Amino acid sequence: MRKTPVLLAAIALAAATPLAFASGDASVGKKLSTPCAACHGAEGVSPSPEFPNLAGQHPDYLEAALKHYKNGKRKNPIMSEQVKALNTKNMADLAAYFASQRGLQQLRQH
Amino acid sequence: MHSLRILAVLALAAGSVCAHADGDAAAGKNKVFQCEGCHGIPDWKTAFPEVYRVPKLGGQKPGYIVAALKAYKSGDRDFATMRAIASELSDQDMADVAAYYGAQAVTSAEAKK
Repeated sequence: MRKTPVLLAAIALAAATPLAFASGDASVGKKLSTPCAACHGAEGVSPSPEFPNLAGQHPDYLEAALKHYKNGKRKNPIMSEQVKALNTKNMADLAAYFASQRGLQQLRQH
Repeated sequence: MHSLRILAVLALAAGSVCAHADGDAAAGKNKVFQCEGCHGIPDWKTAFPEVYRVPKLGGQKPGYIVAALKAYKSGDRDFATMRAIASELSDQDMADVAAYYGAQAVTSAEAKK
């Protein structure tokens, strides 16, 4: 009986590990970011009203978004092409780069 | 001359296809109460199995926010909480909410600072 919590913890840890988000290297991400700039802007601030700003976004969200484009959970004809060449490390590095920029804010109402 | 007129008509037609409701940021402020429960809390995270912080929306592009909400509503973008919330929003609500968040505009010059 006493082993149950330990076992549960071990299972939870094992289950969580593959889904953990790696911490990326922003300087490597910067080098990979040239294709992104066309739509998302050189500083992560998009020149178009239709494309999202990336500057200052949470890196774990950006990484999740890239993974979802790659695994098809999120569908976008442009992004699904762009992520084809990216591996997990590339995604973490890109996410770290855009997250390091000044931009999006967490708004709190009232 | 004639081709110019055709171009103008084409441009107009293309424009109206892409048109969406004009958002009112002030009206949007009163419609974001559901959003704030997650997006207004610093570092709020999604639930297991995939855990990551929900995106910051302050300064996001309105057109992108509207497109995201519509995709959640139609099911093209899959996230249960967002689908439930977006399904309750009209096109005008979406435009207003997007205008509210987008009003915190971020410029390239600011980004460079």
